Amino acid sequence: MDTIVDTSVFLGKFLYFFLEAFAYKIIPKRKKSVAGEIVLITGAGSGLGRKLAMHFARLGAILVLWDIDEEGNMETCRLAKEKSAVKAFAYTCDCSKRRDIYRVADQVRKEVGDVTILINNAGVVTGQTFLDTPDHMIERSFLVNAISHFWTYKAFLPAMIKANHGHLVCIASVAGLVGFNRLSDYSASKFAAFGFAESLFFELCVLKKTEIKTTIICPSLINTGMFEGCKTKRPFLLPLLEQEYVAKRILNAILEEQVYVLIPKFLYYALILKQIISPKMSIALTEYLGVDTCMASFEGRKKEKELQTERENTNN
Amino acid sequence: MSSTRQSAKKFLIFVGKLLFTLVEAMIFGLLPKPRKNVAGEIVLITGAGSGLGRLLALQFARLGSVLVLWDINKEGNEETSRMVQEAGAPQVHAYTCDCSRREDVYRVADQVKKEVGDVSILINNAGIVTGKKFLDCPDELMEKSFDVNFKAHLWTYKAFLPAMIANDHGHLVCISSSAGLTGVNGLADYCASKFAALGFAESMFVETFAQKQKGIKTTIVCPFFIKTGMFEGCTTGCPSLLPILDPEYAVRKIVDAILQEKLYLYLPKFLYFMVFLKSFLPVKVGLLITDYLDIFHVMDGFTGQKKVL
Repeated sequence: MDTIVDTSVFLGKFLYFFLEAFAYKIIPKRKKSVAGEIVLITGAGSGLGRKLAMHFARLGAILVLWDIDEEGNMETCRLAKEKSAVKAFAYTCDCSKRRDIYRVADQVRKEVGDVTILINNAGVVTGQTFLDTPDHMIERSFLVNAISHFWTYKAFLPAMIKANHGHLVCIASVAGLVGFNRLSDYSASKFAAFGFAESLFFELCVLKKTEIKTTIICPSLINTGMFEGCKTKRPFLLPLLEQEYVAKRILNAILEEQVYVLIPKFLYYALILKQIISPKMSIALTEYLGVDTCMASFEGRKKEKELQTERENTNN
Repeated sequence: MSSTRQSAKKFLIFVGKLLFTLVEAMIFGLLPKPRKNVAGEIVLITGAGSGLGRLLALQFARLGSVLVLWDINKEGNEETSRMVQEAGAPQVHAYTCDCSRREDVYRVADQVKKEVGDVSILINNAGIVTGKKFLDCPDELMEKSFDVNFKAHLWTYKAFLPAMIANDHGHLVCISSSAGLTGVNGLADYCASKFAALGFAESMFVETFAQKQKGIKTTIVCPFFIKTGMFEGCTTGCPSLLPILDPEYAVRKIVDAILQEKLYLYLPKFLYFMVFLKSFLPVKVGLLITDYLDIFHVMDGFTGQKKVL
């Protein structure tokens, strides 16, 4: 009897959720208000982080901006305040260091309050073949792109759980779903970030913390200077994305409380395809889409390179 | 005009390749693929002191490979060494190595290169699990988990891949996990590390492919829980679809996949279907199914190995 009841309930819910998902494909979901929410963005000093900060400023959120680059971060802060009369706080923080994250997190708690929307966006990329990448740079990729998420979660999640209110946003990457040539460390770190965010999503589901939302974003390569020089083979299917477009998509996803977001939409189909076809077919698809060649002309940020050489010189 | 023609040509070539590989896949799906001979190959297994590592070592011993066994646990590793010699391996070399420390990996790798030779089959198997809920897990433990389960792969690749490339001969085996395909409640750090291991192995596969290093093979293994004691206490909500795997069965399938040079191996087969479903089902439906099959609570009874790390 129990099994019959259970199964009936299950089938009922199953149908309902399917219909709901279809409905939302046609009717746009209600967008939540983020006015007054405390939004923390790591890597806010440039690129996607800065764009997101502008959007949240426009919506009346209180901004907490973290970046290792003090200049860029202060500039973002200034631009945000110019855009609309919001409170914006800029902190210089090296996300590759656990103690730094905890120290600045404590400051934020004292000076601003409990962060309600956490956007783990900070990222670095080296763009060389694996064997040509120095060990310390590989380590750094992981510390910033993935491990920093452990510590920001540890710093801000407890308060969210207590209040049963919060939103955890993980900016992963298409490279966190599929391996890429010359991006082995970046790819692996984005896989880790994805897996971590997903595990926590399930953990929160089980704890029935329904008001703590999770959004995991996987964009294709964006033209922010981080991937300067990259060329995609099939710009129609997988274009080098415009920053503003990606920022808008991410913002929408957060306001609609979507869980997984792949940008551009073509990636959804590519991923489904990847699960069905054999590895050799995957390889043909990979070749066609230029996943193996897009990094060949990678230049990356000029500043990154300068920091790199600086570090190498001090190490020698 | 000519660029359109070029695009059309490229697209046709792609469709052609796709059809060819589709037919090839269908044929090989029916015919058994030839299994390569690994007699005399130098096989390095990390975490060989117990569990899956030990069983893999025994299998390769029976196939006539030279074995290089790494583990942090000296006793367990020497026991494996003894068992492997009894099983008929031509040579066995056991080294104590802490895979979570880069310097240790490099140091022992140098020793192996001098004393044994160039490793041709690298099996990154060493792994630990904390099994704690995220907020209850001490930071150092999370870091260690990540270091052993994943960072070790970076350093072993760095140590042994150059020689494989020089010889255009090698096989990189990554023992990831089903927890590297989907997040799991209660395994946040383990998942992060297994996702990373999978992503890294896959990226390196694309890299060797792009550099036309045809002699370098990759195999990525994603098993569900195996009954080796590592996940002692874990339960499965659905033993018919997602059983806790018998170690002998798991090892047989893994070695078979390596000998056939398969790229991915998911155990049990249901995982292929699960990953496929996950790629397109609406989130709420996926959660509903997971709840119904009681997969959220697999880690609730976790006790782990009695031995202290």
